[in-house]
Amino acid sequence: MSLALLRLLHLADSAFPIGATAHSFGLETLVAQGQLTPQSLSLLLRDLLQETGRLEAVLGRLAYRCSRATDSVAALDQWLQLNLSFAALKPARESREASAALGRRFLQTVAHLEGSTLLQQAQTQAQHAAVDIHYCAAFGLVGGVLRLGEEETVLAYLQQSMMGLVSAALRLLPIGQGRASEILWELKTPIAAIVGESHKLVSTSKSFSEGASWLDQLATFTPLLDLASMRHPTLATRLFIS
Amino acid sequence: MTVPTNHRVDGRLQLTFTRPAATGDTLLQVKEQRPPLRVVRAFPLPDHAVLTHLHNVSGGVLGGDHLTLCVEVKAGARAQITSTGATRVYRHRPDYPSATQENHFQVGPGGLLEYLPDPLIPYADSRYRQVTQIELADDAGLFYWEVLAPGREAHDELFAYDELQIQLNLHSAGRPLALERIQLQPTRTTPGSLVRFGPYRYSATFYICRVGLPATVWQTLEKELQQIAETLTTPDTVIWGVSTLAAHGLSVRALSMNSRALLTGLPRFWQAAKWALYGQQAVMPRKVY
Repeated sequence: MSLALLRLLHLADSAFPIGATAHSFGLETLVAQGQLTPQSLSLLLRDLLQETGRLEAVLGRLAYRCSRATDSVAALDQWLQLNLSFAALKPARESREASAALGRRFLQTVAHLEGSTLLQQAQTQAQHAAVDIHYCAAFGLVGGVLRLGEEETVLAYLQQSMMGLVSAALRLLPIGQGRASEILWELKTPIAAIVGESHKLVSTSKSFSEGASWLDQLATFTPLLDLASMRHPTLATRLFIS
Repeated sequence: MTVPTNHRVDGRLQLTFTRPAATGDTLLQVKEQRPPLRVVRAFPLPDHAVLTHLHNVSGGVLGGDHLTLCVEVKAGARAQITSTGATRVYRHRPDYPSATQENHFQVGPGGLLEYLPDPLIPYADSRYRQVTQIELADDAGLFYWEVLAPGREAHDELFAYDELQIQLNLHSAGRPLALERIQLQPTRTTPGSLVRFGPYRYSATFYICRVGLPATVWQTLEKELQQIAETLTTPDTVIWGVSTLAAHGLSVRALSMNSRALLTGLPRFWQAAKWALYGQQAVMPRKVY
């Protein structure tokens, strides 16, 4: 357990070299439009957890389970399908490409560190099928390969995801490190709740091979944030990548 | 309490558009129409297309209604479909299931479907579920928009509905191009959240697809339409955005304080995209525009 915990802490560290700090996922536009303020940041993150966090937690769990399947060929096919579905659920190109860039680098980096055959196969198959690897799906798959625990993997993924957004907000808004820590601390309970809900969603669905019924039970709706991401390239000055 | 079956409707409309080689014009075949859904005729349009109006003779969607629309656009056929007015979703009736609308659209090789309905207006206390399946064959084209209202503004109904679920599955060759999983329960999920509507009330989504075109076409069109989006955006009233899909198309999105900004803006994108993808003018549905 201690080795798994150390690995999980390493993978979820904001210093893990995948370029996560280069993306604001629409926050920069919301700040530029005067809609996101220091006062509204915490609530935005809670709502984001409800909509996108739950989706990513479900995808992370299913990706984790792909790595544990006995038939690795079928499991990787399912994992590619997860990535395709996730891409189709992300209407804003900028956020979708950001997730794909992080996912690709994450998988590359861990495959290099760990030398796992399954992770290398996943990269190769995604490349051959021209399927983008998304961050939550990559994180889940890696968690499964390294036996980090499904619950722990998804918790760590959402935690680092929220840390990334708060880090972006620190650069965009007049908030200090202390307030940022408070916000992240207060998010732990909703993160745990969302991860719990994702477990129920995955458990009540049919198995992945019987049909993607998990997809029909999901709800995700973030139009203002999607529009913020779509409009980000049109901002006159930008701190974050478009 | 058991709901009498004659108090609920199971409406069904099955339409097929073909384009026989003999005439070259698109023909409408009504395979099935079960009240309250109905079509009357197809009007010829330029470029061998036809325009068809969808009627709901009950005037709206009542609690417990189950409505199914199946549209097949065969190879090379060109169909434009609109509604005769806004889709009004009435108050939910106790002991009845949520009103449900199922849409199935299938566009064959080289076919084109333009689905341009009026806004969806969920009344106070309504419960509505809409599931749309769209399958595009090789070189199939799609212009598909939806406008969602917060309720009857004139009656001070803003997000007063009980529940609204909208699912959309847009696929080509087994690959998902766009998926929507909207579930709004305004008493539980705040519409005014900065991730949802923010200060706005109305939303619009417009899918523009033509299967098989290279990614560079969509990147170029995204830039072109983004310029229109910037021209039309006035943040106090409406914001527009454009983005390529994962493959074979792009989507235009908007949030607005009113429906007018959306209904006047959407055709601008449609006209530009149709010209870019087909070299043809977009012909507005013949009614109130």
